[in-house]
Amino acid sequence: MSPDLAADGNEKAGHFATTRWSLILRYGESSAEEGKASEALAELCRIYWRPIFAYLWRSTSSPEDAKDLTQEFFLRIMQGKFLQHADPGRGRFRSLLLRSLQNFLRDHHDRDKSQRRGGEMTFISWDQWMAEAPSQLSVPASIVETWSPERVFDVRWAATVAERALRRLQEECEGQGRRHVFDVLGGALTSERDQVSYERMGRELGADSAKIKRLLHKLRLRYRQLLREEVAETVEKSEDINEELRYLVASLAAGATDRVEPT
Amino acid sequence: MDFYGLTDSPVTLVGSANECPECHGVSRVANGSCIGCLLYTGMKEGEEVTADELGSALQLLPLTDYRWRLGNYEIMEEIGRGGMGVIYRARQRHSRRIVALKRILSHYADSRDTLIRFRREAEAAASLDHPNVLPIYEVGESDEGVPYFSMKFAPGGSLQVVGPALRGKPREIVRLMAKVTRAVQYAHEHGILHRDLKPGNILLDAQDEPLVSDFGLAKWLDASSDLTRTLTVFGTPGYIAPEQAEGPAANLTAAADIYSLGAILFDLLASRPPFLGDNAISVVRQAAENPAPRLRSLVTWADRDLETICARCLERDPASRYSSAGALADDFEHWLDNRPIVARPVSPPVRLWRWSRRNRALTAAGLGCILLAITAVLWQVHGNRLETSLRANQLASRSVTVLPFLNLDTVHADEATTLAVARTLQTNLSRLGPARVSPQIEGASRWPDTGYLEDISKENHNLKSRTVLTGSTRLVNGKLHLSVRLMTAGNGEIIFARSFQSNPRPNAIPALVASITSPISSLLNATDWPSISRTEKDPGLKDPAARDLIVSGRQLMFRDTIQDYDRSISCLEKAIDLEPNSALAHAYLSSTEASRAHFSPDPEILKKAEKEAETALRLDPDSREVLRTLAGVLYLRGRLKEALEGQLRAIEVGGPEEQVAGFRGMVLLRAGRPTEALPWLEMASHWASSPGAYESLIGDCWSFLVEDQRAQAAYMQAMNLRPERFDGWVGLCHLKLLQGDMGGARQLYAKYSPRTVGANLPGNDNSPQELLAQIEFFSRNYDTALELYTQLARDEPRGGVSSYGAMSYSSALGRLRQVTGDRAADLFLKEELTRATEFFQGSENPADAYVLAALEASLGQANRALDYLQLAVSLGWLDYRSLQLDPRFDTIAREPRFREIISVLINKVTGLKRSAGQSANLATNGD
Repeated sequence: MSPDLAADGNEKAGHFATTRWSLILRYGESSAEEGKASEALAELCRIYWRPIFAYLWRSTSSPEDAKDLTQEFFLRIMQGKFLQHADPGRGRFRSLLLRSLQNFLRDHHDRDKSQRRGGEMTFISWDQWMAEAPSQLSVPASIVETWSPERVFDVRWAATVAERALRRLQEECEGQGRRHVFDVLGGALTSERDQVSYERMGRELGADSAKIKRLLHKLRLRYRQLLREEVAETVEKSEDINEELRYLVASLAAGATDRVEPT
Repeated sequence: MDFYGLTDSPVTLVGSANECPECHGVSRVANGSCIGCLLYTGMKEGEEVTADELGSALQLLPLTDYRWRLGNYEIMEEIGRGGMGVIYRARQRHSRRIVALKRILSHYADSRDTLIRFRREAEAAASLDHPNVLPIYEVGESDEGVPYFSMKFAPGGSLQVVGPALRGKPREIVRLMAKVTRAVQYAHEHGILHRDLKPGNILLDAQDEPLVSDFGLAKWLDASSDLTRTLTVFGTPGYIAPEQAEGPAANLTAAADIYSLGAILFDLLASRPPFLGDNAISVVRQAAENPAPRLRSLVTWADRDLETICARCLERDPASRYSSAGALADDFEHWLDNRPIVARPVSPPVRLWRWSRRNRALTAAGLGCILLAITAVLWQVHGNRLETSLRANQLASRSVTVLPFLNLDTVHADEATTLAVARTLQTNLSRLGPARVSPQIEGASRWPDTGYLEDISKENHNLKSRTVLTGSTRLVNGKLHLSVRLMTAGNGEIIFARSFQSNPRPNAIPALVASITSPISSLLNATDWPSISRTEKDPGLKDPAARDLIVSGRQLMFRDTIQDYDRSISCLEKAIDLEPNSALAHAYLSSTEASRAHFSPDPEILKKAEKEAETALRLDPDSREVLRTLAGVLYLRGRLKEALEGQLRAIEVGGPEEQVAGFRGMVLLRAGRPTEALPWLEMASHWASSPGAYESLIGDCWSFLVEDQRAQAAYMQAMNLRPERFDGWVGLCHLKLLQGDMGGARQLYAKYSPRTVGANLPGNDNSPQELLAQIEFFSRNYDTALELYTQLARDEPRGGVSSYGAMSYSSALGRLRQVTGDRAADLFLKEELTRATEFFQGSENPADAYVLAALEASLGQANRALDYLQLAVSLGWLDYRSLQLDPRFDTIAREPRFREIISVLINKVTGLKRSAGQSANLATNGD
């Protein structure tokens, strides 16, 4: 990810920075900001192409169709049809995007097949994306088969958020010439204290356990921060961050059943 | 991508095995962290930490990443490392494009020559432009002179990662392999061999299109272990062709890549490469020494055509594989289009399981033993390295190790002959120049001179000779028959073979040796042995079209279905049209026809088989393949004596290998000569590529000799060594039957039959079903027996002749219908008798005469029955215990002549037992 993509928002002192989604929601209030909003939308779409693609693949059972449809969906969004529904107070980017996606697919089914297939449209480049930000999840194939398109969308969304924050953390470590620290400690961000061998990590990094413990603590806090920033980009108000995270965590639990998010 | 695009390169987990203990989530990111738990950290209370604060904390650690640039690239992370090279994910500075970048490690880049070679080969690879070849963007050199090249970064991972997700999707696998193979074909057409095709070198782009990487660059990047480097081999054990493991890289051909493609296909279908082992050496060795396992032995549901394609690619002989990558790709595409594949020229057969039930062991041992020309070529590869090192030394080049000669009459080493030959040869050769002849007697194994690679290379290791001389002796009508073979050390390739006959006088051997000194001397001076080797000479192997037909024909003949035999026959006939002088084609044709006639009795085809064998013999009288084929055909024709002589000729010409020794043991056993059969079977067992394959035949020998304890031990050994096969316990069970203990036999049957997987599958002359039928028949449970034999005969009306007690189904059935009151029984028996009399005409196989005796006895023709029985005994029938129990002979059991025959047999067996006791002692002492 190039640095200019990274949001510079922070929540310090109760100030909720202008995030992409809040910018988009204000679209229309001022035509001067229209360009900015549309740019922000394009950026968000590029970030969250995977959930959209996954949803379409699961719905159409054909990766080829899903690719074409993904491109087509993005173009439709960028033509402004999506933003008409994006009124302030109308919720989060994720849920709106999913609703649009559902509508899009419904419309698409109704339309004559000969009309679709814009093979020329390339809003996102898969190759480039997968090279820039490869994603390697472990997902149980047998369970995935039972997931609805909406569930696939949510899981892929959650993974995108978690992975993006991780990638940013990695880049920050790399920026300090400490990529190796990330490689060694990155797997312990979620582990409870008693599951972590500070000694082993210390040996690998040439530092004592106490130092490793402190560093890991800092990394965890920083990861938390980055995560919140990622989520903030997709919600309107800072109060929504926790709720969005809660929703995503719930969607990942093994026992979670497919459900419709209350609006 | 897979799983609806959830992940770029899927790592599947089955079920919910990896459920997070904290949140019960099932999805994880690459470093193993649970996604739910990662997100949950965002909801926890905690102070806010800025990037700067983290930066300060990180700076407290003394360790700094080794960061650097290479030419125009920023290195991002290391993604792979081989013996000589390393691979990074990197970013091109100005375009910001992500690439994969490979460079050779600096300590390998110390000579200018190396750098130039690397550059040249990388540039050659970069010239390849094909949608399924991973493009190389740039070949360059860093400021420090470290050569590197950059190429497309394939985010989808390699087949090594994605392979498991393809399991059970043969169409996807084949579609992918077709593309890969076309890419390889393209490179071959541009004169570039890959040399290290393996799943890890086949990458996938975002569209899941395969991209083959590292053409011809394997040696720079992936000489991954010390082993391979000392062998100067570059490649990956498990996927490299056997010739690649030993031969100089310069001699490799497209066939090596084709082998690797087959290994990859095998791996994708079976989830493991064809050969496995604890270490690289053992994998390489196995690939060099053993045929690849059949795909369907591991994946029973696999498609037969795919098995055939794999097998064709994995032929040890490069010449037997597909002639080009294009031909392989064609077959993949044919398969995808549901068209017949070329490896098998005709439409896919419907396997008739009933044919497979019959006498597979016999066919395998007798006809299948035809030594494939391939082994010799393989050995040649082994020899290359050695030869190079020896060429420098003139004395060494004119050196001969004489290994013990084999006395074919006693099946033991003939030390006197060995020493006499060595001494004479040393004297004679020394007159022609420096020479060293070293006899090797001490520590000779009980079965010397087998021509086996292990033996020869072991001896050679000690003696550093370039050649090995050995041979055999026997007495024929009072005359000494001496055969010698000169082989290349290290590979056992026969470069000279000759047989002589002389009166056994004291100076006979020196005189014979004198006559071969001159040809041997000129051979020792020659350098182009490969062109001398006889297997290369067959015209059928020179013409590619004929060779393909011969190879296909040979493959088909081992499938044991009538359709495949017919296809095999048609292939071989076409090959003969192309190359009428190919002895190999005639020999294989003969072999197939004989097998076909054996499975579905047809005297006409058998006669044709005999004719073909004779033609082959006329074309190449000294070919071991031809001699063995002839022996097999003669055996099936019931001409046992000629078959045994043919086997000896084959041994004289080509050495006693496992199969010919085992086959000889079997024929001797059938001819009622168990004591002579034993040493051959033990020799075969000693060398068996599949341990335990001959133990039940050894048990049968002892059972014929009424040495039941020894028989039992041998059967148990068969069970231990091959628990999946039934021949061991069937033998054990039959032993109980012979002892008259029907209850015991039934008990053993009940105990073991459920444990044998696929008891219906072929494997031995004596199937469990036959045995059960025999137990019930001999117990006089006629109704049950009638039912069982009816079932058996429904599948194979002519079966059972070579089973224990020569229980031909039709003769048993006739008798059973008789005793259960079927009025048409006699008519049935008469018809069978007419048919059998015609078919067994002139046969020397005692079982055939025995069946005729049984039919006559059932029909109440006591005298004719006893005449046939007498004939069977004179031909070698020994099994008097079966005869005493057999209900087919109930009608004549009280005849004085019958009792006389029994007592003659008992005496004969007692006499044989005495001599067997001696050889048994030898067997114990000699090992």
